[in-house]
Amino acid sequence: MARGLSAPVALPAVAAVRGPSRSRAAWLLLAPSSLVLVLLFVVPIAYVLLLSLTDPRLSLAHYQRVFTVPVYTRVLLNTFLTSLIVTGLCLVLGYPVAYVMVRRNDWVSTLLLTVVAMSFWTGFLVRTYAWLVILGSKGPVAAAYGALGLGPAPKLLFTTFSSTLGMTHILLPYMILALFAVMKKIDPDHLRAAASLGARPGAAFREVFLPLSLPGVVNGSLLVFVTCLGFFVTPILLGTPRDMMISQLINQQIEELLAWGFASAVAVVLLAATGLTLAIYDRFVGLDRLWG
Amino acid sequence: MTLAALLVALFLVTPILIVVPMSFSTAISFQFPPPGYSLRYYAQYFTSDEWLEPTLNSLIIAVGAMALTMLLVVPAAFGYVRYRFRGKSLLNFLIMSPLIVPHVVSALAYYGFLGRVRLTGTIPGVIAAHGVLAVPVAFLVISATLKGFDRNLERAAMSSGAGPFRTFFHVTLPVLRPGMLVGALFAFLSSFNEAVVALFIGGRGAVTLPRKMYESIRLESDPVIAVVSTLLVSAVVLGVLISVFMRGRGRLGGGA
Repeated sequence: MARGLSAPVALPAVAAVRGPSRSRAAWLLLAPSSLVLVLLFVVPIAYVLLLSLTDPRLSLAHYQRVFTVPVYTRVLLNTFLTSLIVTGLCLVLGYPVAYVMVRRNDWVSTLLLTVVAMSFWTGFLVRTYAWLVILGSKGPVAAAYGALGLGPAPKLLFTTFSSTLGMTHILLPYMILALFAVMKKIDPDHLRAAASLGARPGAAFREVFLPLSLPGVVNGSLLVFVTCLGFFVTPILLGTPRDMMISQLINQQIEELLAWGFASAVAVVLLAATGLTLAIYDRFVGLDRLWG
Repeated sequence: MTLAALLVALFLVTPILIVVPMSFSTAISFQFPPPGYSLRYYAQYFTSDEWLEPTLNSLIIAVGAMALTMLLVVPAAFGYVRYRFRGKSLLNFLIMSPLIVPHVVSALAYYGFLGRVRLTGTIPGVIAAHGVLAVPVAFLVISATLKGFDRNLERAAMSSGAGPFRTFFHVTLPVLRPGMLVGALFAFLSSFNEAVVALFIGGRGAVTLPRKMYESIRLESDPVIAVVSTLLVSAVVLGVLISVFMRGRGRLGGGA
């Protein structure tokens, strides 16, 4: 691109018009979407905030309950811990896949890319259903236990184990793609240079590749962690009510108790936790990097 | 390292493929390996409204949401990429906000808000919610395409005597078309796969496919879900294979 021409000029959409009509054109292009987003997104979210403070009457009582009643603090703690565990598992499982995807340039890399894309695009519910079959009492794991004479299989479904496994399986492709996006920009010449300077493959990886891939690690972890905080379908279908996540609590309060005020307060806490995580990321890395 | 990667790939793909034999099963519950094979549940899927109606609803809603998203995003992307103005970062934040807010929070918000205006349990209500929620993803794709567009093409067209509209429709749009199509596809799929908002606001009037699947899993009774899953997985496999063979390698990662 001829940078000298296009950089400072800021031409309007089509015609090369200057002056006040320029900002009017921008305004015309941006106004409809801004208006719709405010009306159909900001206002509904603000309404939740309002309900959390005013339903049934103006007070902070709902927030006080969220942070002091042991049942609810346990939900908060459990959501946080589960998200950390799932993020860690995705990182450990995802890193080798992304690494091989960029380092090899043959059928293995194509196969991995195909598998990752496939699982990325397959809906949450299909995959949750698959785990229900695999871990169920009439599933292959139970059948294998029987065939090997190990007696009845342990209860796998509707446990912490099954919901953690399901969530990890669902979020893993996100982690891999985030890692892949950063790793494919690492110049292979860096590794060749390290090797020619006498670094063994292990050392070259540790000293060169790993540090350069860290932005991908941060991006992927953020993406998985934040999604996990608000995870809804999979923990409900595969998990146990005993280790309830925040989104299940919101659902339960609305579906069973119609407790709008309290459910809204829990939603605001979830939103704040997500916002806080992203703000920390923004402070140290910059949110633009995530969209990048 | 390669072995580890292949094992993880196996972990990723096995559960997705297991739904295929399940769909040909004769079992009345979730049993694997299947005790026998038949096409019974395919017949059931294609002949009963119980599943066809949610499928149709999902398609209508996804197409509607995609149209709404594109209507909002295309002008916004042009305005955002091609102009400088005050409050640009605030606007970016506004456009990206549906991606930042957890879906369950949005779902609760829509449930309360759309309930007020009597739009819960209606197809237009779900279209509106899904259309807004898909804005950030489509915006990312389309504004990226637009940033890579060479403005000299437009200048060349105009200096050769084409007017602004002619330039737009004969030069700008054709060049941007692939990016727009990817953005539209992302919007379509984000609605088609969306479950949480659909669960909260769909009601009885707008049961989508993910919602129907959710209910069927919860009751753990209806093996037709294996048929639906197999059809969905087949569509994904077809799409991914096409894009891999078309060497669209960079594009696959665009969703993350």
